Amino acid sequence: MLIDLLRTKRWLRVALSGLSVALLLGGVALVGYPFATNMWRDRIQERLQDQIASPELQQAYKERKVETGDSLTRIKIAALGLDTVVVQGVTPSALRAGAGHYPQTPLPCEGGNVAIAGHRTTYGRPFGNLDQLKPGDTIELTTPIGGCVYQVAKDPFVVAPTDLSVIDPTGERSLTLTTCHPKGSAAQRLVIRATWVKDLKAA
Amino acid sequence: MRTVQRLGAIALSGLIMAAVLALPASADTVSVETQKESFIATAAARGLDLNVFGTKLTIGQSSAMVNSSPLAKASGAGVTLASGTVSSSEVNLPDQSANPPKACVLNLPVANLLTVELACGESRVTTNAGAPAAFGHGSVAGVNLAALGILDPVIQLLRTLLNQLLPVVDQTVGTVLNTVGVSGLLAPLVSSLGLGSTSTVAPVSGLVNNLLTGIQRATSLVNIKVGDSTSNVATTGTPSGGAVAATATASGAQIDLLPGLTLGGAPLVSIIVGDAKSVSTYDRGTAKSTPSFDAAIVRVRLGLPLLGGTLTDIPLTLGAPLTLLAGTPLETTISLGGGRTTTDPTTGAVASYADGVSVQLLKGINGGIGLELAHAETGAGGQARLVSQQQIVTQITPALAKTGGDPWLPMTGAGLLVLALGIRRRLVAAQPARTNDRVSQ
Repeated sequence: MLIDLLRTKRWLRVALSGLSVALLLGGVALVGYPFATNMWRDRIQERLQDQIASPELQQAYKERKVETGDSLTRIKIAALGLDTVVVQGVTPSALRAGAGHYPQTPLPCEGGNVAIAGHRTTYGRPFGNLDQLKPGDTIELTTPIGGCVYQVAKDPFVVAPTDLSVIDPTGERSLTLTTCHPKGSAAQRLVIRATWVKDLKAA
Repeated sequence: MRTVQRLGAIALSGLIMAAVLALPASADTVSVETQKESFIATAAARGLDLNVFGTKLTIGQSSAMVNSSPLAKASGAGVTLASGTVSSSEVNLPDQSANPPKACVLNLPVANLLTVELACGESRVTTNAGAPAAFGHGSVAGVNLAALGILDPVIQLLRTLLNQLLPVVDQTVGTVLNTVGVSGLLAPLVSSLGLGSTSTVAPVSGLVNNLLTGIQRATSLVNIKVGDSTSNVATTGTPSGGAVAATATASGAQIDLLPGLTLGGAPLVSIIVGDAKSVSTYDRGTAKSTPSFDAAIVRVRLGLPLLGGTLTDIPLTLGAPLTLLAGTPLETTISLGGGRTTTDPTTGAVASYADGVSVQLLKGINGGIGLELAHAETGAGGQARLVSQQQIVTQITPALAKTGGDPWLPMTGAGLLVLALGIRRRLVAAQPARTNDRVSQ
């Protein structure tokens, strides 16, 4: 029936042809969205790499005036092969860099509970394999004025998105990493809790 | 061609992707009011301001006022001194209305000088739907000034004087008229008094005698028909595109001095005043105000020389008062009001005034009767509401940072691709038939 109509009605062929092209483009755009975020994040990281080594950022860090979206620390997790720059802030805009520091928590390597959030499936997915961390794995933070090493204290665990207790202050120097869970969803949060091991000398 | 289409498709998909990525970056904004709108508009009109031998009153008065607080206030009066003819109303909270019953009095005596026929006052106000409005209306059916007795002593005095002086006056005036003719300085006077060009005998004595006789024949001193007075202020539209319009109208009036004076029943003088209207409009969007007015058109008709009662139009010009019967107890001066507008250069507020006519009747009798007829005035001004676009501070439930993707995006994309491929297949399936058609041809 449709085939017959298509044979006889030129306007229908043209209309369906246009529709198919539009659907094709829309589909490509949506399917390609995660890849596009990765490209976007790579460009941001290039800028952040330069910024984290700059004297201006070092000064701002000392004065505790790092702006949201600016470089704050570098995070390295050897077990996951992760090495990326973390920005200040966890706004959607800031998190396009891949990972961001909860501004209400202490600066990296300071006393208390330092918390960092990272994307799991988009924007370079820095925390994509966070669930593979095991107790004893090390996490290294390098700030503009120094650095420190943490060690994963326990197995990854899942909490509700509204469970803010995981980034509450703690009596000891600790690091908390959060990411969305399960992969591709934001229904829950996967949490890694690590404790401070040692400080690193400034480069 | 295919290559071009493919390149175009790639470019388009790139644009769509960029748009999708850019969406989260654009912060939502909201219009925030940085300056509240404020305005005020007033309207007032009166049919007649009367001063009768020292007694003052206003007949047919109305006023209306609104502001953005919101306040709406209005009053209407048939006769201001008579509380039974006054209606007032006011509301000063949002979404309120007041509409008191019309206040009327029939055959109202005022100060033992006047009888006002049906006199009514009316008012209503509202602040509903953020649009304050006020309406005031005053009306009288007619005014009779029945005080002929006041004239009696004057008439007797005049008769005595005239009897003694008339022979001398007649001779003098007659000689002058014969010498200079009627086309000289006296021509306008002679003409306005209705004296014929050949009348050179006893002109003044005849005139005054006839006047005195006519006065005694007149049914009343003055008949006044005053039109309605209406004041209306209305708010329309929204702060970004509306208006506040103040309109005041004093309807026409007619004054007949000594009605029935002439042999034909015409009055000595008849003054007919048209409508006076004033409008001030405030534009809520631009905060600009505009004034305008329509001054009353006035006609003065003279009923002399008491012979046939023919009324003669007397020209009246703005800024040049007309005096009739100068030097006699019936001396009457008429001034045309005109109108004007003003604008405050600082605030931009405007005002508009439309006047009818000012009449001073019978100046020789106890100070006479003063009338201000058909006066309307309005004013308007204000400040526009100012808004600025500010970023929304979204009140979100505290939660750990959202770092997960939107899984429906790739799934939806895959669905769209499948659908697109399905359509393409149907199109391709239809293609061979077209080719066969061509071959068969």
